Amino acid sequence: MKRMIALGFEGSANKIGVGVVTLDGTILSNPRHTYITPPGQGFLPRETAQHHLQHVLPLIKSALETAKITPDEIDCLCYTKGPGMGAPLQVSAVVIRVLSQLWKKPIVAVNHCVAHIEMVKDGIGFSVRLLTLLLGNCLDRFARVLQLSNDPAPGYNIEQLAKKGEQFIDLPYVVKGMDVSFSGILSFIEATTEEKLKNNECTPADLCYSLQETVFAMLVEITERAMAHCDKKDILIVGGVGCNERLQEMMRIMCAERGGMLYATDDRYCIDNGAMIAYTGLLAFAFGETTPLEESTFTQRFRTDEVHAIWRDKKDLASVNVIDEPGDKIEENREIGTRVKQCRSERNHLKKLDVKAKTY
Amino acid sequence: MDTQWDFSCDFEVDFGSEENASIIYAALAVDKELQPDKVKRLMSVSDGKLSVHFEAVEARFLRASFSSFVDILTLSTKTIEEFGKGMAS
Repeated sequence: MKRMIALGFEGSANKIGVGVVTLDGTILSNPRHTYITPPGQGFLPRETAQHHLQHVLPLIKSALETAKITPDEIDCLCYTKGPGMGAPLQVSAVVIRVLSQLWKKPIVAVNHCVAHIEMVKDGIGFSVRLLTLLLGNCLDRFARVLQLSNDPAPGYNIEQLAKKGEQFIDLPYVVKGMDVSFSGILSFIEATTEEKLKNNECTPADLCYSLQETVFAMLVEITERAMAHCDKKDILIVGGVGCNERLQEMMRIMCAERGGMLYATDDRYCIDNGAMIAYTGLLAFAFGETTPLEESTFTQRFRTDEVHAIWRDKKDLASVNVIDEPGDKIEENREIGTRVKQCRSERNHLKKLDVKAKTY
Repeated sequence: MDTQWDFSCDFEVDFGSEENASIIYAALAVDKELQPDKVKRLMSVSDGKLSVHFEAVEARFLRASFSSFVDILTLSTKTIEEFGKGMAS
């Protein structure tokens, strides 16, 4: 039987990638190119789109060559419909529309976040998706305040610098039920860093360390609460932030305490790439889904739960985001409350140590 | 109140092939102008040529729409050149 092959395009943010995969999940090729901005600057839609314009066609060539396939062998063309920035998304969408007509191949539109999840086969579905997206944004902005390099990624540089942090600085910890807020932390850091750094009260490494500890603790807390609600004990973390080893470590401890497992993808699949789009699109295609040319639009906002994961209907994953009636979960919630208190007291303890260190 | 479509611009690209012009037309027609109350775009294909007509209420809207349109038009043209007929397949 002929193997099914998909060509996938991802260009929703600062990376443009083209991947070739088969239905059994083999990645035949997955080249990508990242738009790297100077330290202290983020990527803007227009410049990012220009970057994608320049690199997308050579990437297709290299993807086909590495995979050793010709366009004839491709079954479907997949692209990121959203969410992401408009102009960069348009690049993939336009190329795919032209290719679809040239090669007479069907199009499949893919949701970026669903693709991240789909990269782990038989994964245990739980994503604190939007939140980690926000977190990524928060880390990026923080890196800009500190003028950290954007190469290879701001989050990575924060992680490396955080390893050298010695002093814990208290940052706003905002968790409301199932929601977190990072804006307070950002404003706080933006408002106080300069002063603190100038007076040698702390180093950039301390700030990175404190930021990571604080925001990851927030994430772990809400994730655990969500897991209690849904009665899940395993976690899968995806996305750029999911590569962070400290976050993985914290999540792993929490899962272990609940008798579950943490599943993390390595950085090849955590970071945006074409193969994840190709694979997710191919799954949908195998179930008869295609996107007509006229409807192959892109959209900046595209919620994960708007997607009907047709290939998942027979498994339980489709229902993971449904929150059960709390009822008998109250006991468990109480347990979490205790744990959270422990975390907080640990934080306070750290703070006291710092105070002590200063007095000595 | 009447909207004043004071700024306009026309251009034409000759692809020398009805098929290629239609492919480009179909690919670019999917994305509508984001601010239809400020910029209008009309396209048509004949004799292997793609004709585009822009109208806008202010010069800056015209400039922005035109410039991003040309980028995307160039991209789709290059895609045909690289991966259309004649590509080893």
